[in-house]
Amino acid sequence: MQNDEDFFGRQLPLRGAPANGAVGQRALRTVGERRQCQRCGQWLAVTDRLANGDWYCRQCLQLGRLTSQHELYTIPEPNRFARVKSGGLTWTGQLSAQQDVAAQAVLRHVKTRTDHLLWAVTGAGKTEIVYPALAWALAQGWRVAWTSPRVDVCLELAPRLRQAFGGVAQALLYGGQADPYAYCPLTICTTHQLLRFKAAFDLIVVDEVDAFPLATSPMLQRAIANAQKPQGCHLLLTATPGNDLQQQVRRHQLAVTYVPLRYHGHLLPQIDLRLAWRWREGLLRNRLPSALIHQLRGYLAKHQRFLLFVPHVVDLPVISQALQLAGIQGGVTVHAADPDRPTKVQAMRDETIPFLITTTILERGVTFPNIAVVILGGDDPVFSTAALVQIAGRVGRSADFPSGQVTCYCHSHTKRVRLARGMIAHLNLQGRRQGGRP
Amino acid sequence: MSACVWCGRQLQATLTLAQIWRFAPIAQATVCDTCQHRFAAITSQHCPACGRQQIDETVCLDCQRWSGRPLTNHAVYVYDVAMKAYMQQYKFQGDYALRVLMQAPLAAALQRETYDVLVPIPVDQTTWRTRGFNQVTGWLRNQPFQQALLVRATHKERPQSAKARADRLRTPQPFTLAPNASQILHGQRVLLLDDVYTTGRTLRHAADQIYLGGAKAVTSLTLAR
Ligand SMILES: [Zn+2]
Ligand SMILES: [Zn+2]
Ligand SMILES: [Zn+2]
Repeated sequence: MQNDEDFFGRQLPLRGAPANGAVGQRALRTVGERRQCQRCGQWLAVTDRLANGDWYCRQCLQLGRLTSQHELYTIPEPNRFARVKSGGLTWTGQLSAQQDVAAQAVLRHVKTRTDHLLWAVTGAGKTEIVYPALAWALAQGWRVAWTSPRVDVCLELAPRLRQAFGGVAQALLYGGQADPYAYCPLTICTTHQLLRFKAAFDLIVVDEVDAFPLATSPMLQRAIANAQKPQGCHLLLTATPGNDLQQQVRRHQLAVTYVPLRYHGHLLPQIDLRLAWRWREGLLRNRLPSALIHQLRGYLAKHQRFLLFVPHVVDLPVISQALQLAGIQGGVTVHAADPDRPTKVQAMRDETIPFLITTTILERGVTFPNIAVVILGGDDPVFSTAALVQIAGRVGRSADFPSGQVTCYCHSHTKRVRLARGMIAHLNLQGRRQGGRP
Repeated sequence: MSACVWCGRQLQATLTLAQIWRFAPIAQATVCDTCQHRFAAITSQHCPACGRQQIDETVCLDCQRWSGRPLTNHAVYVYDVAMKAYMQQYKFQGDYALRVLMQAPLAAALQRETYDVLVPIPVDQTTWRTRGFNQVTGWLRNQPFQQALLVRATHKERPQSAKARADRLRTPQPFTLAPNASQILHGQRVLLLDDVYTTGRTLRHAADQIYLGGAKAVTSLTLAR
């Protein structure tokens, strides 16, 4: 059985019309000789056809297959929510003076339904900065989505928002979950899940807007545009906007609020560049750059814990072995597909191991107090400008240890590393104007 | 450039000179090396009755429990995590394009079999309408086959995959013979083709009907065991 509520602002695929008067349109629209999926916007290939003659969309298959037998049914979003005082905000924390300035700017833009970028350095507390605007929007009876291309971001965010907005019903949506759908004022979801919506949200908060694969996926960008009401607006959150967004900001096509300082008021650590000419050739003979060895031995002697970032998963065992040979022992390697990843990260948190050797996966979301960061091969293309800034942002997160070293060993100076240093310098310039301390 | 049909990775298309000369369209359905090698082929050390991968070549316990007319089954791949993931996307999510992954290995396996008539296990009318294809015939390229079996109209059941073994073994005969089946089957050596051999119940039901149709021998081949 389908409730009316299930159709509010959504597009549900059915093979026959439901009883509730929802309006349907063909799931696959024929334009001349071609067919376009009306859920994900992608064009079908001539081979995307079943044996019985029906067509189907392969691009959004993970959300349940759409065929030429399906129609997408919707009921226009009625915002049928009980008004809750102060938007259900139960958060009792305090914004810093700097955070409050940014929060008021975000609120102003949301009130005037203006698209807006909140460019906040890692550790600025960007989630809390959005709370006043979110509370206002929910108090108006707006329907709001908080979305991220990354499921781990959604999973981490959902309990925080449930705590901070205890007075408002919330739904968490991501691929492969068991919970049934619920019609709620606040929806936290992966960007893929927005494909199931149509003109539903008055406000969409896009968290980690620069994260893969959103920046390069027209399908996901379209998902956000379609899920937003025509008169709605979106708020983009990021620490490291890509070139497109930076360009829109420079051309004044997109309003921006900077939060160049971390919540503790200190500047970002700059990346210290060191040349390590032909380090890969050395590694073939189990040798690491002597400057690196010297630095890491120093860290171990001082009990300074550190993260060593390397370009590829295949580099992990080789570099680990070379470190062992150089007497730098006790660390553990970890990567994205490592089944023991949670235990290893926890061991690092518990300070039972002195260092982690890792690929880029730890770049976001993971914080260790008083940590140093070393990147070996920062000129490898796997380290984008954004990734380098994010990695540098691992350092100095905690108020007790607001500074620390970020060292990047490269075979050559590359544009990406230069741009990353440039972005940090730019943010620190803004930060100094606001009274930031090194 | 084209992409791997399963993992989506871009493939370096190797154009043959003939293709360039004839401006022939490059076959769209392509599979990358990694995806083609995800599956574990069953070695010679398998159960001689059902084709299950083992460490020796003795008849397995499941097969010893079967009474009645024996049925010899061969299987191409182990039904492991990779194969389950494949079947999930191909059969249950209905990604018909993935049929190409198995066309070449299955063609090779059919080459090794001795038979006169190939009979794929059919799907019922509802499945044909909703899934839109028979997952078994999707793996055939141009090998001739005969639809000698039909699914009984009254046969409305939970899917096999949702049942426990004991339930499956009690499943009543789901098949009937197609109207022209006797002409096709009489005196022939028939090879049944199915996707996964789990208990062997479905294939034995099918074999019973094929014998009724006058076949002189029935064996079977499945993609996975
Ligand atoms: Zn689609
Ligand atoms: Zn592949
Ligand atoms: Zn056996």
